[in-house]
Amino acid sequence: MKKVLALLLCVCMILSLAACSKEENNNTPTPEQTNDTTPAAQDNNDKNTDTTTKTPDPTPTDVPVEVIEDKDEISELTNGQLVDGKFPEKKHITVEVYDRDGGTPANDNMYTDFIKKGMLEKYNVEVEFVAVPRWTEVEQINNLLAANDAPDICYSYSFPTVQAYADMGGILDMSEYLTDEYKGLFPNLWNWLGSAGINYRKNPQDGTIIAIEGKRNATERIVTFVRKDWLDKLGIAAPTTTQQFEDMLVAFKNNAETLLGADANKLVCYAVTEDVGWTAAGLIESKIDPDISDKDQYVYGFDDRRFTMPGTKDAVKILNKWYNQGLLWNDFALYASGDTTLDDMLKAGYVGAYTQNYDLVFRDGENGINYNLSQIVGPEAKFVAIDPFEDKNGNHTKYLYSAVGSDRKIFFPATNKEPLACMLYLDFISDAANVEYLQIGEEGITHTKDANGVVYIQAADDAHAAYRPNSGYNIDLTMTTNGLRLSSDELTIKSMAYGYANVDPEDVVNAINVSLNDAKYPTSIDLGTIDAETTVGDTLTSYQRQTFDKAVAAAEADFDTVWDSGMADYLAAGGQDIIDERLEKWTEAYGSATMLP
Amino acid sequence: MYIKCDKKGFEMAKSKEQPVQNGETKIKVKTRISFKSSFRKYWQLYLLLLIPIVYFIVFKYGPMEYIITAFKKYKINASVWDMEWAMDKKKNTDILFYFKQAFQDNQFMRALRNTVLLNVLDLLIGFPAPIIFALILNELVFTRFKKVVQTIAYMPHFLSWVIIYSLSLRIFATDDGLLNLLFNKIGIDSVPFLGDKVWWVVTYIFLGVWQNFGWGSIVYLAAIAGINTELYEAASVDGAGRFKKMWHITLPGIKPTIVVLLIMNLGNILGGGFDRPFAMQNNLVLETAEVISTYVYKKGVLGAQYSLTTAVGLFQSVVGVFFLLMANFISRKLGERGIW
Repeated sequence: MKKVLALLLCVCMILSLAACSKEENNNTPTPEQTNDTTPAAQDNNDKNTDTTTKTPDPTPTDVPVEVIEDKDEISELTNGQLVDGKFPEKKHITVEVYDRDGGTPANDNMYTDFIKKGMLEKYNVEVEFVAVPRWTEVEQINNLLAANDAPDICYSYSFPTVQAYADMGGILDMSEYLTDEYKGLFPNLWNWLGSAGINYRKNPQDGTIIAIEGKRNATERIVTFVRKDWLDKLGIAAPTTTQQFEDMLVAFKNNAETLLGADANKLVCYAVTEDVGWTAAGLIESKIDPDISDKDQYVYGFDDRRFTMPGTKDAVKILNKWYNQGLLWNDFALYASGDTTLDDMLKAGYVGAYTQNYDLVFRDGENGINYNLSQIVGPEAKFVAIDPFEDKNGNHTKYLYSAVGSDRKIFFPATNKEPLACMLYLDFISDAANVEYLQIGEEGITHTKDANGVVYIQAADDAHAAYRPNSGYNIDLTMTTNGLRLSSDELTIKSMAYGYANVDPEDVVNAINVSLNDAKYPTSIDLGTIDAETTVGDTLTSYQRQTFDKAVAAAEADFDTVWDSGMADYLAAGGQDIIDERLEKWTEAYGSATMLP
Repeated sequence: MYIKCDKKGFEMAKSKEQPVQNGETKIKVKTRISFKSSFRKYWQLYLLLLIPIVYFIVFKYGPMEYIITAFKKYKINASVWDMEWAMDKKKNTDILFYFKQAFQDNQFMRALRNTVLLNVLDLLIGFPAPIIFALILNELVFTRFKKVVQTIAYMPHFLSWVIIYSLSLRIFATDDGLLNLLFNKIGIDSVPFLGDKVWWVVTYIFLGVWQNFGWGSIVYLAAIAGINTELYEAASVDGAGRFKKMWHITLPGIKPTIVVLLIMNLGNILGGGFDRPFAMQNNLVLETAEVISTYVYKKGVLGAQYSLTTAVGLFQSVVGVFFLLMANFISRKLGERGIW
């Protein structure tokens, strides 16, 4: 009896230990904050959608790369690794994919199957997807890298993370396969990203490439949304100046009873989140000098929330005033990134205005914000884009994403044993035909086309649930492409307004127009690696968030003290070193000039 | 048949391992049992023991090799012996570089201050709470009520801090927290329980006590159960009331337990959990909410500064051991049993 019991206990303990070691990621991603886009608007010559003029994409284009057709040549080039264009023995690679909690599991749906099948048939490479929650991706990928457990192909929006690991010898140098002689083996990759994207992170000293840059095919970035039905109810015109915007918020507050009835105390006039630099980006960018010099953009350009830019403080001061007037969400700082509370508040109709990606309210079909709003509050309830924040010239300056350098950085961890297979994967995933299938899916199920080939996205019915993409246009599977990319630019532009299920295309067009109005590309300058930027990224982001949040929530009299001491912390923790090093690099390259030649 | 074994007889038995003449009965006292025979007899227990031993070797002693990274420049793909020694900014070898870096880092100094502050507060308020609770429970006569109270008090211990924080948000939030809604109804302004650095500390300590006092009282209740009831009877005869009995019998009875737990708590003065501060942090209060464990996670795992954070961890452990030894020493000086 005793023996049996002892054995049983042993087994129990071993099993429980084993069970403990299995880790599961339960983070719930939400469609708030940060850098994603979905459909594309390329330029102005589109009649259907009538978008406004946009500065041309500054990315240079390359001479098209010729494909190597000869199989023997390929075999020779790869030292016999590829025979007949395929690996003679099956290879296995793992690939990261963001999980946005969309319609299907991120690593198991029709589209991942499509890629798996394609890669197996074409190259005899077996692909396994590793899902990483989108809204905590930097933490997750850090954990995976630290545990030597990262997928063979990783991507992240955070270059400092890649740099930090590269510094420790944790990232593979991709340059071996990115030479001219290999170009013909990866024609789709080269033709799509061009040397602008591939060599963007090339180390000028030793020629190593630790990451290549994905490309945005849609560079629209932010707009401010407001409840159209509230404006109508109170008889207010859409605000076009910061003052009018403030008056509107005050009107919301004063008419809470009219707008929400019994829920009046739940009303939030303007919802910024703990990531103030992003969810108030419209206001902040309007306070930055529209004629800012290239030099200042470069020198103060490390922080992606423009924290150190001259002018940002003025914008936060306005937010601080609004906070103290009760116009903002009191508890904005209590909910961490990835929390869904604000989303639920938006869907329930408690929020009057907020700033986000230009298409955020349209995304996600039946999980979408506008869709839910119309279901919960009523058909007239919806968010529409407005353009309220004027700069010193009376324009509505805002920034776009730069096509190259602002999207995901694709890299191979040092644990990657199959760099060639992974490079072929990147080529496969950059192939226009593959991208198109992944983005719009199957005709009749996830989209329909009109006679001109314009694509109308629709939600897949329950019988085809596996066709529901995890992210809009599957942008997380097409890692080199962010934004709709159809066979021709013209089709892309025409299709973009119809890119969302259950959404009025007029609203999309309006949001795109607003996001492009007076918008400009950030000056993209690369003067080589800034050593001071390695390893301080997380610390500085933390100080930046703390300072933004504390300054917004401070008593009005304390605002300057709080902001200045937060800024001092930021600068002391490495921010100043970055500014100094960037200034040095600039002076080295351009002397006393303040603008690019 | 009876066995009489006075101290002298026992010592003799021990030294000679021979049968001793003791009273009328001859008995064989064998105090040293060989490992082999003991193992044969109790192998099941040894088998069970194997699990914690393996656990300690694999998870506690094995990784200690990597302590050296505190003095070296960490490389992800090199063994700990192959990494270069730490270098300062001018590339001169300086094996204490990461320690110096930590102590020059504002963030670390804040985390250090907060860790000590929060742990001391926890000790001052959180440590006596289960003792008081155990004493009160012990006075309850109606056992069913006592059991119900006990069970309810244990429950929070099984909730993770993520859940507790979510619950506390619903209670303490400024806009729609229950407490503040109540305050507003009776005309008091909202209190930023989670968004003000002083109030946050209050909430933090309160929630910590709430989660742990029930569970912590188990040990004391067990110790109280071990007190000889005759003492209480004698005290009653002498006319002692409840409070006197509590003061003069119960408390001294559980004193050894209190001391042991106090020593262990003091050893943890720079330690403390990760999930409680991490779950409760937000940007408004990070200045007081960042503690060493969360700092190490953020800097080390997220910021990929392994050498720096290993140095911090090592410092934390050394200080912890120092406190433990000191507390143990003092307690032995004061005539209490230490933990060894």
